[in-house]
Amino acid sequence: MKKFLIFLLAIVTVGVLSACTTGEDAGEPADETETESPEEGVEEEAEEGVEEASGEKVLRLNNSIEPTSLDPSIGFDAVSWDPLNNLMEGLTRLDEDHVAGPGVAEDWDISDDGLTYTFYLRQEANWSNGDPVVAEDFVFAWKYMLNPETGSPAAFLGYFIEGAEAYNAGEGSADDVGVTAVDDKTLEVTLEAPTGFFLDVLTNPAFFPINHQVAEENPDWHTEADTFVANGPFLLESWDHDVEMVFAKNPEYWDAGAVQLDKVHFAMVNDTNTQYQMFESGELDTASIPPELSDQLIDGDNVFIGPYGGLEFYRLNVTAEPFQNKKIRQAFSYAVNRDDIAQYIVKNGVEPAYGFISPGFTSPTGEDFRDVNGDLVSYDPELAQQLLAEGMAEEGYDELPDITLSYNTSDTNKAVAEALQDMFLESLGVEVSIENQEWGVFVEAQQNLELQLSRSSFINDYNDPVNFLESFITDSYMNRTGFSSAEYDELIEKGKSEVDPETRWEYLYEAEKMLADEMIAIPIRYYNTVVLEAEGVSGILRHPVGYFDLKYADKQ
Amino acid sequence: MLRYLLKRSLIALVTLWIIVTITFLLMITVPGSPFSDERSSNETIQANLEAHYNLDEPYHVQYLIYMKNIAMLDLGPSIKQPNQTVNDLLGRGFPISFELGMVTIIVAVISGIVFGIISALRHNGIIDYLSMGFAVLGISIPNFILATLFIQKLAVDWAMFPVATWSSPAHMVLPVAALATGPMAIIARLTRSTMLEVLTQDYIKMAKAKGLSPWKITFKHALRNALMPVVTIMGTLLAGILTGTFVIEQIFAIPGMGKYFVESINQRDYPVIMGTTVFYSAFLIFMLFLVDIVYGIIDPRIKLHKKGGE
Repeated sequence: MKKFLIFLLAIVTVGVLSACTTGEDAGEPADETETESPEEGVEEEAEEGVEEASGEKVLRLNNSIEPTSLDPSIGFDAVSWDPLNNLMEGLTRLDEDHVAGPGVAEDWDISDDGLTYTFYLRQEANWSNGDPVVAEDFVFAWKYMLNPETGSPAAFLGYFIEGAEAYNAGEGSADDVGVTAVDDKTLEVTLEAPTGFFLDVLTNPAFFPINHQVAEENPDWHTEADTFVANGPFLLESWDHDVEMVFAKNPEYWDAGAVQLDKVHFAMVNDTNTQYQMFESGELDTASIPPELSDQLIDGDNVFIGPYGGLEFYRLNVTAEPFQNKKIRQAFSYAVNRDDIAQYIVKNGVEPAYGFISPGFTSPTGEDFRDVNGDLVSYDPELAQQLLAEGMAEEGYDELPDITLSYNTSDTNKAVAEALQDMFLESLGVEVSIENQEWGVFVEAQQNLELQLSRSSFINDYNDPVNFLESFITDSYMNRTGFSSAEYDELIEKGKSEVDPETRWEYLYEAEKMLADEMIAIPIRYYNTVVLEAEGVSGILRHPVGYFDLKYADKQ
Repeated sequence: MLRYLLKRSLIALVTLWIIVTITFLLMITVPGSPFSDERSSNETIQANLEAHYNLDEPYHVQYLIYMKNIAMLDLGPSIKQPNQTVNDLLGRGFPISFELGMVTIIVAVISGIVFGIISALRHNGIIDYLSMGFAVLGISIPNFILATLFIQKLAVDWAMFPVATWSSPAHMVLPVAALATGPMAIIARLTRSTMLEVLTQDYIKMAKAKGLSPWKITFKHALRNALMPVVTIMGTLLAGILTGTFVIEQIFAIPGMGKYFVESINQRDYPVIMGTTVFYSAFLIFMLFLVDIVYGIIDPRIKLHKKGGE
């Protein structure tokens, strides 16, 4: 009897196990993955063997996670656009000096009023399936991005084009969008207003072409490797979702001769320690530095440190007491010791921010925006105290209303917030309480002007200072401070549409100074790019604004 | 038995419906939007995105749309992975989590029971102290610390195993070891204590007096009764481990489904939140049901249909 029971137990256990397995095999996607993963492993090993034998150059990178989408209009983030920037190419491409140079377009004409751009596409520009890249591919891609039904988060980048904003808002029609294919290799673009940095905007992956013949036949062409058509230096050889993407050199690329690498592997490892350990054991060629190891590693020879067009700052809500007062706002800015925050709190080689626009924006006269406009804020506790006293007198405060500093939950943000709390106490004698919120909750509260003093950050979408400065025009979605000034709005308007480049930049210098004087945002530090590169890796272009480029990358 | 099955299925369905509804209510009360990234945007873009995912509809319409889809086993599109449906994500992630979980459970159960028995038989001996000391460590050291330790020592320093990713049996060793240690320790302690209790019972003395071999006494008479508590915790343990563990999968870059539980909530990816919740609930209910059946088999005194009411 007991034997029988044990026997039964064994049967049931086996039954449960096999039942689960069958159930899961029955589902098709499950089935696919089950059989795919072991094969993939074998394939990879075989591949590595071949690579070693034939001396292929293979670069192993980490994309951290699965790209949101390789549809150029949808994947509005670095995990999608970094890979995409190497699979595709727009009319223009950022060169080694981070300036927009010829891409698919070998040449272009700009009308005297700055409104009409005529692009001449390369005869030898082809898609990876052999189709020529034609002007219609751009027309198709851009109108697809602007179509409200596409729901593209990047569509606003296209608003420089005539009729684009109306179409995207559902008020105009696709036919009124100012982009036309004159012939197969000529594209004409009409802008809403002169835009001095339009060629630069075009390097953004949102403006990449889409092979319209392929896309009309299969709208999901971008979801799998075997249907993906590329026109950039690399093509998508395989894509095991959530696991790995493999790029191979694209023989159809017009400049294929310049491409050094044969293959690029993009792993998807989302843990900073793990990806560092993989780098250590040679499984990755580049890696980021885990925060805990920053002090040890940051000064190494194999570390690339470069600017990254972005700013961490704190927004002051001018609709909430006591920050309706300019002097009180300024006082808080003068109380911040940015050097200490950059050097001891954030570390990792970041630069303290004494202005809003990060270094790396080159003016028409060849100077850096930051150098020309200089330091607009500083650390000056005495001035801070004086301004606070004056401001309090103006408002008739005997005592400052309670102030809460808010940030979205993260270790670094917490450390910076605590440092700020300390500095306000030390420099101003003001006790500020700090509070952290989960990202979604935080953003909504900030948007609704419910926070007094709150953390924020900005990452540039294109290589022009107006990108950031525009955030603070009246009622902008990105404003989030309640700030409104007709004078500032006008400066930005001119800073966008002025035809003469040097005059245009004057407006931008002016606008940044005004922002610093009004002090609706306290700049803290600029972002940077810090990457560990294995020995022998060279030529990876990392632009201050834009996505990395492996076209000239090499590995010995 | 059939009656019992029907009744259990019905209860399961009602439970699932309640879970779905509560999750939906919680979801809409949490502030935030799936589209609030750290990137530039404007009102038009936000409105287009909301319209694209039906988030501009009133809540009751959204709820009805969702209930209709879920009745057809369609969990909807993912907002944060726009080219994938939730079915795709789970269909891809679950088999991998399941594979990892199954190996982990087998390792944990076998080694846990073996350690437990040995400790009980060598009660207060050196082996007992060693394995129970080890078990205390196993329970108290979180698995992500073990994982990092294993990677640093076994993969980076001694290069015995690959650091991470999921492509060959060798890749499985470290995550399984990190994941199995905790459950193994729990099972070992549980087995030991119940074994000790069972071993003092009269029928064991009787068996000894009859001159049965210690082997037979242990496995045939003692162990089966000692296993009841282990079976009890197996239901929740299985559901938890088989549906993926966020931290271990993240550390070892294993493309399982664990990450969706945590990330979907942070990103307000509503369909994925609902999908993972429904999936996990259904799986847990099924596992608890299996445990109830196994009870009846190990211990005939537990009668299912009586418990089900007559």
